[in-house]
Amino acid sequence: MTVSLTLDNVTAHYGSTQVLQDLSLAIAAGELVSLLGASGCGKTTTLRLVAGFLEPTSGSIRLGDRDLTRMPAHQRDIGLVFQNYALFPHLSVRDNVAFGLKQRGLGSVERKAKADTMLERVGLSAFAERMPAALSGGQKQRVALARALVIEPPLLMFDEPLSNLDAKLRVDMRVEIRRLQRANGTTSLYVTHDQEEAFSISDRVAIMNAGRIMQLDRPEVLYQRPANSFVARFVGFENLIDMTVTERNGASVKATTPAGASVFLSQDVFGAIPDRFVLAARPDGLAVTRSEDGIPVTLGIRTYLGRAYQYQCMAQSGTYLGNGPLTEPLEPGTAASLVPVPEQCCILPSDA
Amino acid sequence: MRTTLHPALLMIASLIFAILIAPLFIILGASVSDTSYLTFPPQGFTLQWYSNIFEITAFRTTAITSLQIAFFGTFLALLIGIPAAYALNRFRVRLPSFLSNVFVLPILVPEIVLGFSLMKSITIGLDLPVYTTLLMGHTLLVLPYAVRVVGASLASFDFSVEEAAISLGCPPLKAFLTVVLPNISAGVIAAFILAFITSVNDVSISLFLTGPGVSTLPIQILAHMEQFFDPTIASVSVLLMLLTVGVMAIVEATLGLTFLTK
Amino acid sequence: MMKRLTPWILVGPASLLVLAFLILPVGATLVETFADPKGWLAPYAAFFNSGFRRTVLYRTIEVSLITTILSVILGFIAAYVVAQMPARWKSIMIIAAVFPLLTGVVVRSFAWLILLGKNGILNNLLLSLGAISEPLTMLYTKGAVIAAMVYLFVPLMILTLAGVLEGIPKDVTEAASSLGAPPFAVFRQVILPLAMPGLIVGAVLVFTGSFTSYATPQLLGGESQMMMGTFLYQRAMVTFDWTGASTVAAIMVVVTITIVVLMTRLARRMNPMAA
Repeated sequence: MTVSLTLDNVTAHYGSTQVLQDLSLAIAAGELVSLLGASGCGKTTTLRLVAGFLEPTSGSIRLGDRDLTRMPAHQRDIGLVFQNYALFPHLSVRDNVAFGLKQRGLGSVERKAKADTMLERVGLSAFAERMPAALSGGQKQRVALARALVIEPPLLMFDEPLSNLDAKLRVDMRVEIRRLQRANGTTSLYVTHDQEEAFSISDRVAIMNAGRIMQLDRPEVLYQRPANSFVARFVGFENLIDMTVTERNGASVKATTPAGASVFLSQDVFGAIPDRFVLAARPDGLAVTRSEDGIPVTLGIRTYLGRAYQYQCMAQSGTYLGNGPLTEPLEPGTAASLVPVPEQCCILPSDA
Repeated sequence: MRTTLHPALLMIASLIFAILIAPLFIILGASVSDTSYLTFPPQGFTLQWYSNIFEITAFRTTAITSLQIAFFGTFLALLIGIPAAYALNRFRVRLPSFLSNVFVLPILVPEIVLGFSLMKSITIGLDLPVYTTLLMGHTLLVLPYAVRVVGASLASFDFSVEEAAISLGCPPLKAFLTVVLPNISAGVIAAFILAFITSVNDVSISLFLTGPGVSTLPIQILAHMEQFFDPTIASVSVLLMLLTVGVMAIVEATLGLTFLTK
Repeated sequence: MMKRLTPWILVGPASLLVLAFLILPVGATLVETFADPKGWLAPYAAFFNSGFRRTVLYRTIEVSLITTILSVILGFIAAYVVAQMPARWKSIMIIAAVFPLLTGVVVRSFAWLILLGKNGILNNLLLSLGAISEPLTMLYTKGAVIAAMVYLFVPLMILTLAGVLEGIPKDVTEAASSLGAPPFAVFRQVILPLAMPGLIVGAVLVFTGSFTSYATPQLLGGESQMMMGTFLYQRAMVTFDWTGASTVAAIMVVVTITIVVLMTRLARRMNPMAA
């Protein structure tokens, strides 16, 4: 039984502060979608709205054909994995896992059988009798996962589930969560501030800022083709240069920085280029050369990256990061040019 | 934030808090009633019951005794209690473990039993002056505050800071006074306040430790009530509540009242 | 040499005070009851053979139990609400609990004298409402003592339990409701078990406090509702029956210490944080 989750124009407030603004989000049946953003962006609020710990000011939340908007939390039938595990400290591992089954009126024999099967699936059979206080962080997280999965919920939600684990364990658990989610085909909403985690685990990722979804897409698309400056900066496009088209010559376009430096871009690569736009590039998307054309810069600090040298580049319109070849190290203070590498750059709508 | 609080629950709780506070306002009302008996709501208004307190010498002398005993008892308890708390935390492994239980005894043994036993063994058995026994009894009564409240502060104190001071050439006693003590001052203040108010309000120990010319205010109030049922007691009670208000203001100013829920 | 003695020098004065003014005098009181010239345990036989004294003991147990149960229930409700309230209301409620707590037993018991007296506010209220035609006798009854004692101990219970309830992480109760537990099940299966150790500690404080109280039964119970505390005083200071008083004292000590030791052990066993 896989169903879709739909949020329609959801607005939410804490007191008088608006924390979500007309948020719409649709998660297809069986899909895992992450909400990614810095703290305060509204990702946890969204999860709490779906869980029923908060009520939206307006808008609706639907799970399959059920309207969740005003439904009490305990009737929603959602498996929730908490950041701090939130295990019941007074119950054994088995009783923690069986808690949801008990609420569903299952008899003790059936509860034990189901809980033990689930504990086996997360590799904790030997710990069934232990109390949570006697578990390590990774084990606690597995119990939390088992507890959420055992009720076979139509929707699973994860609230920064790996943030309290060390780096190695985080990667293992990430794979584990993906495996279990795939195996059951459970629709899932995953909240995190860790880009690598979101990209590696999700079918699609929503990058959030100030209570709004800035872009929702597959990780590959987000990484290579951000839709706006916010997302571009978020995924590592460190150079954002305001540009104005000053000349069009067939497919070739001459664009100029506010300081008057020009570059040539081809509409064969970028598609139609608007009159005003932002050129977004990671450091490897701006080549540092000694040639005359490009944006003239003075080089600052040089750092060695292994595959290239990276330079701090002072131009009149701002400071950028560009990469240069290992064959030709340049000294700080040298005059050079920045030339966009077309395949590594993006054309974004102007912010203004 | 959505809260799951049921309105009925909220109502019951409000009622509980109202009933907690209401009797104290009733005392306030009764203390200004222009009647020779205690009544509420007050009939008329007079402050004669307040001036009456000062005409009855027993109230004045017992109030002075109560404050003296509370002050010196608390001071003495801190004087011997702080070193004990320090030793119990600092030298945990070098002292037998039962020792910390010794300082729980004044809480564990019923006060009235302690008062009775002190009268029997010390005032009468050893023929010590009543005042001395009273002071010792109150020192004992508040000693657990000194040891345990200060001890709680010391438990979270990092003693390597003190060792750092000593390694820099500071003699141990000076290190305690200038490095440890300032860091546990919240605990000391809390201990002092709680001890003081406990001592002033005590009945059960003082009950047996009164004698000619020596009694405490609560005991005097009880004695007065056996003979008179006039609003004087209400006005004395109001003055004692003012003391409580003062104490709470000090707690709020120094530690914050939430300190008391810990 | 000096260094080895330091800890002992520091705990010395306080330990000596406890020894000289508590352990020895109270010990003497207890020992006396076992060294009676009339025979081994004679004072206890005298106590339990007297119908009046047994009644005093049973009454004290009854009043203390009822007081404890009521204080736990009322204190729990109030503390539960305190723990859920926004900060501003929370501090007002805490002040409302702390103020009576820091006000003396005598003053607080005295308030109930005004409330429950023949001319008291409760009688006046009932008369004016026409619920009764002549003043009820409410003072010097068991009910009066219990009411005042509950009033005495509820603030203590509120403060103890508010701390405990605030310590229960919010996500644990949220986890319970996300797993399908309705509010009452969350309370019954999560909050109550987690609060139980604190609740037991609070209940022990209330029970032993009631069991050994003096001022409240004296003021509101009088002669007719004598309890262990008032009876001890009467034996010692009115009839000068010191052996009798010591026996009462010994029973008090045994009951209190037994309950404290057993219940704190139980509370510690129930503490889930101690794996």
